[in-house]
Amino acid sequence: MSLFSFVSVSSADVNFSGKTITWVVPFKEGGGTSRFARFIQPFLKKYLPGNPDVQIMHIPGGGAIKGSNYFEKNAKADGTFIFGCSTSVIVNVATGNPLVKYNLSEYRPVVLLPQNTHWFTRSDLAEPHDLSKIKERKLVLYALKTPASADLFHIWIYDKLGIKGAKPIPGLSSSGGYQAFLRGEIHLSSHGAANYVKKVKPEIEKGKVVDLMTLGIIGSDGSVSRNPLAPNAPTFPEMYEKVNGKKLEGDDLEAYYAIGAAWSQASKAMMLPKDASDEIVKAYRDAAIKMTKDPEFKAKAEKALGPFPLIIGEEAGEIIKKAAVFSDTTKKQLNAALKKHKFTYRVQ
Amino acid sequence: MEQLLAALFQLFEPTHLAFLFAGTLLGLIVGILPGMGGTSGLALVLPFVFTMEPSHALAMMIGVLAPTTTSDTFPAVLMGVPGTSGSQATVMDGFPLSKKGMAARALSAAFSASLLGGVFGALILSISIYYAIPIIMAFGFGEQFLLVVLALLMVGALTGDNLFKGIASCFLGLIIGSIGTAPITGDPRYTFDTLYLLEGVPLVVVGLGLFAIPEIVGLLDAKGSIAKSLNTKKGWFTGLKDVVKNWFLVLRCSTLGCLVGALPGLGGTVVDWIAYSHLKQTTKDTSQFGKGDIRGVIAPESANNAKEGGALIPTLIFGIPGSGNKVLLLGGFVLIGIEPGLDMVTTNLDLTYLMIWSLAIANILGAGICMGFSSQISKFTLVPYYILAPVMVCLIFFATFNFNRDWYDFIGLMSFGLIGITFKNFGWSRPALLIGFFLSTKVELLSYQTQAVYGLSFLTRPVSIILIILCLATIVLLTKQKFDKYYRSDFVKGKLTQIYYNIILLCLPLSMIWFTINLDYRANLFPISLSLIAFFLLTFILIIKIADLKNLSFLNYTIIKFARSNIFEIGGNFKIQIYYYLSFIGFLLMNFIFGFPIAAALFINLFILFHNKKAYVSSICISAALMVILWALSSLLTLQFPNGLIGLFIDLPWWLGGQLN
Repeated sequence: MSLFSFVSVSSADVNFSGKTITWVVPFKEGGGTSRFARFIQPFLKKYLPGNPDVQIMHIPGGGAIKGSNYFEKNAKADGTFIFGCSTSVIVNVATGNPLVKYNLSEYRPVVLLPQNTHWFTRSDLAEPHDLSKIKERKLVLYALKTPASADLFHIWIYDKLGIKGAKPIPGLSSSGGYQAFLRGEIHLSSHGAANYVKKVKPEIEKGKVVDLMTLGIIGSDGSVSRNPLAPNAPTFPEMYEKVNGKKLEGDDLEAYYAIGAAWSQASKAMMLPKDASDEIVKAYRDAAIKMTKDPEFKAKAEKALGPFPLIIGEEAGEIIKKAAVFSDTTKKQLNAALKKHKFTYRVQ
Repeated sequence: MEQLLAALFQLFEPTHLAFLFAGTLLGLIVGILPGMGGTSGLALVLPFVFTMEPSHALAMMIGVLAPTTTSDTFPAVLMGVPGTSGSQATVMDGFPLSKKGMAARALSAAFSASLLGGVFGALILSISIYYAIPIIMAFGFGEQFLLVVLALLMVGALTGDNLFKGIASCFLGLIIGSIGTAPITGDPRYTFDTLYLLEGVPLVVVGLGLFAIPEIVGLLDAKGSIAKSLNTKKGWFTGLKDVVKNWFLVLRCSTLGCLVGALPGLGGTVVDWIAYSHLKQTTKDTSQFGKGDIRGVIAPESANNAKEGGALIPTLIFGIPGSGNKVLLLGGFVLIGIEPGLDMVTTNLDLTYLMIWSLAIANILGAGICMGFSSQISKFTLVPYYILAPVMVCLIFFATFNFNRDWYDFIGLMSFGLIGITFKNFGWSRPALLIGFFLSTKVELLSYQTQAVYGLSFLTRPVSIILIILCLATIVLLTKQKFDKYYRSDFVKGKLTQIYYNIILLCLPLSMIWFTINLDYRANLFPISLSLIAFFLLTFILIIKIADLKNLSFLNYTIIKFARSNIFEIGGNFKIQIYYYLSFIGFLLMNFIFGFPIAAALFINLFILFHNKKAYVSSICISAALMVILWALSSLLTLQFPNGLIGLFIDLPWWLGGQLN
């Protein structure tokens, strides 16, 4: 594999004419990352130099580890292999899963697709955008699939907001959790943007459900802005300030950025292997930029990918590094929250 | 209403219809093959559906499921062998009719009754969808937990020939299902540090191993072709008239089929008998039953097609399967990213309607094809099994590999194949094992979820009480009906083997306890409790078996008599079946050496020629056709087949197992 780094490629040489590009997706067909790849696939063929065929290769299994390890081992760095990444691929690395053999933070990202999380509760439990009644409750049940996933961040978030009664109900998917929430069995619930619009908004309009907050949109300068889908709901940093009486800063802010990068900014990503040359990365990024200007893309993107603009360029690399390499203080924070809630699982 | 029509128009797009049609054809074929039913059929298509759009995949899966209980009438009537477990009662009168030369009358009555029953089931399903939301909202964690447990117990009690062996099969399934990552803590259980077991064996592999492989070796053991002679020319019109004349019976049995189908866990295995006994109880002149009464064909056939619509109700709204094939349907939902529950009647309502229409149309299509091409289709039953079997084995291997493209899946397939063969021969329940396996994680999670939200108070909620009463009543009624006649097993041979097998089964719970005892209690409470229950059940069965062998006197007490009935199974020739099974392992080794396409061609030729040296024309044609199909598939779907060692030394085209450019 290292041979390829000796071959110098000038940017004019990048031409995929007649080649087939393999897009490794470490999930099953039909999942979010697969849909993301499928949506981008035709545009990639259209705008990459030489109009190569792009085939998507699904290698599901082992909580995305099997496909990710396969990519690390087999991907050629000549631009004919790309990787479909998602939050769970990143969380596997960030939390130090011992089975992980891929060095994600050195990969060369081309495109990131951000997401955002909304929190909400029943209207009889709290006023909109106000946690005070929730904090008074002895028992606040919420859904948690497994602590060894991005759901881990819920534990930290509720801990930082001082919701003492927070108790996770294990093994619930976000959809199953939302159903239990509607039945009145759990108190706090959350959804990503797409399901928020589809499932939660109607209930808010009926007056049964109220918004609490969103994770917030993190800009490239570190500023946090409100989510356009729920412009009145405070962001997590705003809520943190309101609850704790001080600004989100220091270790907490660092952890928030790491969580935000993994969970929100790099929710889905397309990446090249770490040894891909700058010319190849540039060719891909140029193709991605052209794609975002394509009228067909503009027409379909919001419905297929959600309302948040793609992140392309050097900025993407910084986000992936932040997301994939949690600092020791962030890990300590997460582990403290895990311990507090009696989980045996620990971030390594 | 608007969505209902929109779904119909969507279904009539050519691509949807094509998938539905393809599924229906496959369903008809697996229905004809005795023993193979919807479970094997779905297991075969599942590895391919996840590349499709959800709506296409659903049309195809429903297409496979719906007509199996239509075409299963062919072997039932023509040969007296049920094509699926849903047509056992059809044999009672269908076969005598055929012996009297009235096969065509029986078939046409059965097909039209199937059609009406199937459409009725779809109708009931679409009506109940309207009332589903309040039901879903009333079923919290506690109620769901009860529903799942009751479903498991009912399957266990009803699908096994012996009550205790059936329930023990359920528990064994639950234990196998708990292998892998513990859902609460993430601890690995019983995985021996392998990534493969960490995920658990894929459902499709389990389904193919448990159902398809044992049926194939069983039929090879039974030898010969499926049917011997056919006479299906005359009497088609009479059959139709019979159905029209008995319209009220069709309506009653369809309703019954829907109801029984909708009870979670009951599914398809008993519905035909229930319809048959209903017919007997409501008829004055029962003298012709068993000798060729056409009503004895109409009743079970309308019921067993109607049950599909009913059985989809708990499947769609609770994700609780009523039978083996619904387990695989739910597995298919997971693959295409559909979650059963509230979404099915709200945001995914269009997909639900699409399924309902698919169900209705597949039933009409299936019955239509069966009637229109009956003489051609019934010729299909003349194909000798030694020709069908190797082709089916290749198909199973192909499907298995395509699922994950993982060699380990073959080990899983062959292991579950062996479990399936032994279970079948020694009278343990395979559907119970499969449903236990599938529901294991759900039971574990629901027990934690229920405990966290309600504690024990969930038992006093009104819906829970209704559920408990409903379940107890059903079990008492049905087991009473089922165990009215118990037999003593004086004439069973090989009792000792079955006793040894029982002891081998005991190793599973014991080793599970051994390997999980040191884990966190949240990770081992579930598998250890299951293992203890399974241990006691198996020990009890073992004692009864030994007592039966020694003919001890305490067996004559009424209660013990009940436990003793069917404690031993009169299986087929176990040795021959194992011998065929070993030939499949040989095929696996050939795969390893030559890669799948070459190994498949070799295997088909060797297998057919071994049975009939003169059949070389068929063997060469079939293997050549297979190669062409594989080649076409590989270029169409960019599939890579399992490549063998040979590809490392010889330059082969990549679809034959050569290196990827």
